[in-house]
Amino acid sequence: MVEVGVKLALSLTQIAVVMGVVLLTVMFLTLAERKVLGWMQDRMGPMEVGPYGILQPVADGLKLFFKEDIVPAGANKFLFSMAPLLALVPALIGFAVIPFGPDLTVEVFGVQFKPFVISDINVGILYILAFTSIGAYGIILGGWASNSKYSLLGGLRSAAQVISYELNVGLAIVGVLLLAGSLSLVKITEAQTGWFWNWFIIAPPFPQIFAFVVYVISAVAETNRLPFDLPEAESELVAGFFTEYSGMRFAFFFLAEYANMILVSCIAAALFLGGWNAPAPFLQFHGSLAHLLWLSATIWFAVKVYFFLFLFFWLRATLPRLRYDQLMRFGWKVMLPIALGNILITAIAAYLFPRS
Amino acid sequence: MAMKIKAWLKTIIFYEILVGMNATLRHLLHYKPITLQYPHEKRTLPDSYRGMLSLLRYDDGIEKCVGCDLCEAACPSRVIKVISAEVPGEPTKRYAKEYYMDMTRCLFCGLCVQACPVDALGMTREYEWAVYDKRHLYLNKEQLLAIGDRAFPVREKRLELQHPNVAFFNVAFTHLPPKNS
Repeated sequence: MVEVGVKLALSLTQIAVVMGVVLLTVMFLTLAERKVLGWMQDRMGPMEVGPYGILQPVADGLKLFFKEDIVPAGANKFLFSMAPLLALVPALIGFAVIPFGPDLTVEVFGVQFKPFVISDINVGILYILAFTSIGAYGIILGGWASNSKYSLLGGLRSAAQVISYELNVGLAIVGVLLLAGSLSLVKITEAQTGWFWNWFIIAPPFPQIFAFVVYVISAVAETNRLPFDLPEAESELVAGFFTEYSGMRFAFFFLAEYANMILVSCIAAALFLGGWNAPAPFLQFHGSLAHLLWLSATIWFAVKVYFFLFLFFWLRATLPRLRYDQLMRFGWKVMLPIALGNILITAIAAYLFPRS
Repeated sequence: MAMKIKAWLKTIIFYEILVGMNATLRHLLHYKPITLQYPHEKRTLPDSYRGMLSLLRYDDGIEKCVGCDLCEAACPSRVIKVISAEVPGEPTKRYAKEYYMDMTRCLFCGLCVQACPVDALGMTREYEWAVYDKRHLYLNKEQLLAIGDRAFPVREKRLELQHPNVAFFNVAFTHLPPKNS
């Protein structure tokens, strides 16, 4: 009984810490995005709230709290209130299987406890894919329940886009799964220890570079970010699926978008860039400092995740939005064959030269 | 053939996108914002800046306007309304008893300033005239004179004191200096 209690307490603390870190990162990202975008466009970004505008996320959050919560006439109230939750919860729930640091086991009050992964389930990546698909329902239902043509168009576009690009995400990952021989993100990360050429993006003799490119492009499309932000498309559809949302419900959609960005960045880092592994073994704490390994490992993981997040901003500053038919053609006629070919070649290579 | 292969290579490595991303990254690294933090920093205005209109006075505090209505006639958007009257007790002189400007309509062309025969109108360099009520932009003579007072602290002498032997509107002969005989 005590054991169950300790386990529960440990898990809840872990969940609270991870959620706290994710939400703080989201706060930071909203500022960082506006700043980076501004700098790239020779602007300054937010400068008014606090020194150099660093308190802008706080001001935004307060504003969203105190805004009026409007439900449009003719909207389906139940689905209208549920859609933001349906978008946010799957985005946050995926962090349960991400390994943020080395696979250590600590014993606390006689309970085995892994501090850097909330739950190491053996179908980790499948679990994330399943839940991100549910997140698409939030967007579609939000668009439909608003009783607005712009919202509905945004929701429909999102449905088509997410279906086409989920497929590519799934297929791009298969190559890595073939090499790692596991669906658990902890095992996949462990298979990439050592030097940087063990990372699955390089991993001779079967580099997953094509899968990586397919994954990154599809991940951008899946999170509805520019240049694939057709569901929002502010120049065509006002704000797409969340046109009618205001106040905290809008904030939930916003949080979901950024949490999804962090999630796909974490997956990309864990699957292709070695997760918490350093490019070279001597760049981690080792030898006499081996007990601090977790520190350097989490820092390496954060560096990789932030690189991807920066890439999201960078692409947004650079590229214009795709046309709808271009998006579909690119997804089905270019990305899908590349992903399938990658699976075929990786499967053959993995059969001929099995990894020890 | 070589061209085709080159084009194909450029496509598969996303050459154009990389060029674009290079451009944005260069702007990030050589960050030189062109933003002016407006309420905190302000532009240097050119000397000929045409801002808020104002009525002027001579250095003895008498207003310059002679109520001739030429500004009203010159104004293309009918901003100005002048009600002219004799100066009480001096039948040769006229002045603007009432003078109104509806600044909501003004397009700051400066034609009224050019039309004025006594330089009674001036364009200041004020431009921060946002108000909450449109009626606050319907200015009367006192308000326009106040704008002129704060924008042009150095006032002109009376015309007849500036140049001897000029005949102008509104010349009060009592003020003329004695002629050199």
